[in-house]
Amino acid sequence: MVDDPLLLARLQFALTAGTHYLFVAFTLGLAPFLLFGQLSATLRGDAGRMLGVRFWGGLYVVNYGMGVLSGIVMELQLATGWKGLNEVFGYTFGAPLAVETMGAFFLESTFLGLWVFGWDRMGRWTHLSCLAVVTATAYASAFWVLVANGFLRHPSGIRMQDGTAVLTNPAALLAFGHVTVSALLLGGLVTAAVSAYHLSRGHDPHGIYRRGVHSGLAVITAAALPTVALGGSQHVLDQRPPPASGLTYSATEIARIEDAYGATATAAVFGHLGYAVMVLSWLLVVGVAGVGAVVWLLGGLRRWRWFHWTLVFSPVLAFTASIGGWVYRETDRQPWAVTHLLTTADARTEMSAGAAAASALLFTLAFLVLATVTYRLLVRFARRGPYGGPLAPPTEHTEHTDGTQPPEPVL
Amino acid sequence: MEHPAALALTSLTVGYFVLAGCDVGLGMLMPHLARTAGDRRRLVAAIAPYFLGTEVWLVATVGMMVGLFPEVESRLPAAVVLLVLLPGWLSRDAGLWLRSRSRTAAWRHACDTAVVVGSWALAVGLGLVLADLLTGGRPGPATVFYTLTTVLLLALRGAAFGAERLVPPEHAAGRAESADAAARLTRTLARGGVVATALATGAAFLPGAGPERLLPAAAGAAVLVAVLAVASGLSGPRWSGTTSALAVAIPPLVTALSAGLPTPAAPPQTLALVGTTLLPLVPVMAVGQIWLYRLSRRPASTPGFFA
Repeated sequence: MVDDPLLLARLQFALTAGTHYLFVAFTLGLAPFLLFGQLSATLRGDAGRMLGVRFWGGLYVVNYGMGVLSGIVMELQLATGWKGLNEVFGYTFGAPLAVETMGAFFLESTFLGLWVFGWDRMGRWTHLSCLAVVTATAYASAFWVLVANGFLRHPSGIRMQDGTAVLTNPAALLAFGHVTVSALLLGGLVTAAVSAYHLSRGHDPHGIYRRGVHSGLAVITAAALPTVALGGSQHVLDQRPPPASGLTYSATEIARIEDAYGATATAAVFGHLGYAVMVLSWLLVVGVAGVGAVVWLLGGLRRWRWFHWTLVFSPVLAFTASIGGWVYRETDRQPWAVTHLLTTADARTEMSAGAAAASALLFTLAFLVLATVTYRLLVRFARRGPYGGPLAPPTEHTEHTDGTQPPEPVL
Repeated sequence: MEHPAALALTSLTVGYFVLAGCDVGLGMLMPHLARTAGDRRRLVAAIAPYFLGTEVWLVATVGMMVGLFPEVESRLPAAVVLLVLLPGWLSRDAGLWLRSRSRTAAWRHACDTAVVVGSWALAVGLGLVLADLLTGGRPGPATVFYTLTTVLLLALRGAAFGAERLVPPEHAAGRAESADAAARLTRTLARGGVVATALATGAAFLPGAGPERLLPAAAGAAVLVAVLAVASGLSGPRWSGTTSALAVAIPPLVTALSAGLPTPAAPPQTLALVGTTLLPLVPVMAVGQIWLYRLSRRPASTPGFFA
């Protein structure tokens, strides 16, 4: 396996993209909760609700940092490890990514910095508007990335003869819808799980977790069916011929390449497995949502500990579904990097086996460490509650390591 | 450079070197400038809010290269990017994000080490990429001197930034040793920069090591020596903020002007898509950047998210 640089490069990219997507889904899922939480806190001038925003915001920022790191690794890997893709389709595949990095990510990172450092230093509406920019650009990022990804799967608007064809590509729009609602599902599960953990311990300062479990469960219930509807509707595309088929390879050559790959290739097996994991996880989430709705109607949501513990472990389902879904989506296209136009083997940068192995080993280790550390930090801060998180308000007990006094609050 | 898109790409790269030179350079100098736990916290507090807003410039540069200049991008040395630059970035960022997530001394030491090692690797990686583009991918002695010059200039930028930002808040009785050490270092680094520039200029005459267009390269070297001369003694650290910014802008500028990079214009449809989407956002991007810069002008004295 180590002798096959193509397999190594694919595994490395799959690992990078898979890890990155876990952080992305968490970001997308939690951002609307934060935004509406802060809007509500700002409208009411409620310090307790604002403390809740600090708590969820702390988890968001810890997660965001690792999302940026893995995203940058992915971008540069795409740029240097898959030159064939950029040489042939750079202008079509790369343009949405250019917009994503320059427009969306640039703004998202800058305004997240403003949001984190502007706490207690800005007017409350100004501060809220920074978070609004962060939320909007997070979703804009997802949109542009899926426009690029949708082109690989269903290459319409080839060579940008028609820019709108790239943007209205059903493979991009349906996937964006699916990613959006499934991320909300994930956000709801995480919010409900963390809230349930604290409620089960009889710990609910300022009603943060009571509101959390209610809104989390409401979102899970609302998002479960749209997730599967938008996911399943993408199968319609499988019946249609790829828009640009025949441009680089003739029908005979395409058939030969696909036959050589075969339906029993390792990647294809992984793909079926990913699909099964995704569907099974979703079914279990629907079960949790259904039981949750009954528990809510019976008035046990804040008291029944067995249900709290069901919720605590349920976010695992959303994460396995996310990974399974991506494995399925990306293996489903193989052996093509761009359907019927460019094979994955031709998309890869020629690199010596040694360099490919070194790169794969390095990033596998780095990602293992990063993902583990982030997971443990998220669990730790989630358990500590609103006074122990990374964005917790400074108190008189906060240590001043250099012996200085806190500055006068501005505004 | 005939094309507005090429100008935009060059501006993004130069902007990244000028802004990120501050935090990358200061990270490189941490072992020298920050001796106590309090010093290190203050140094990270000076870098931390800032790096979030500056690294997006590099991301935007790479994004633009992928989208509009795939041919330039295919000239990037993959091994350097994947094995030096990227691991360096990863290590530095992980150190900064994770540093204040735990209070134990061992954790902070590990994160500080990640920041220092990562900053050096990132600086060397950037230097190697520019050197590779300038020499047309032929490694030799010139590669070493081009890289050395870039690394020294990044460190100089960091020292100048430190001289300004490591000054403690006024009410914390005057311990400004780190800032003073950084100010002294600007002179040493500027002198080192003059020597490195001279060596790099000499190396450009080696067969096959020179940039394709000599005039901009020679002009760049001349300006660099003049600017570094000012920084190295004439007025000292007083002007180092400006001189270091000018100096660190020159390596990417010389590379863009003289490396003979293939820059065919992207198809008009691609340019239209990118242009119409991004142009309305440019004012928002500028406002956000300036706002973040002003907000983090003085490092917070209370422990915050990063330090």
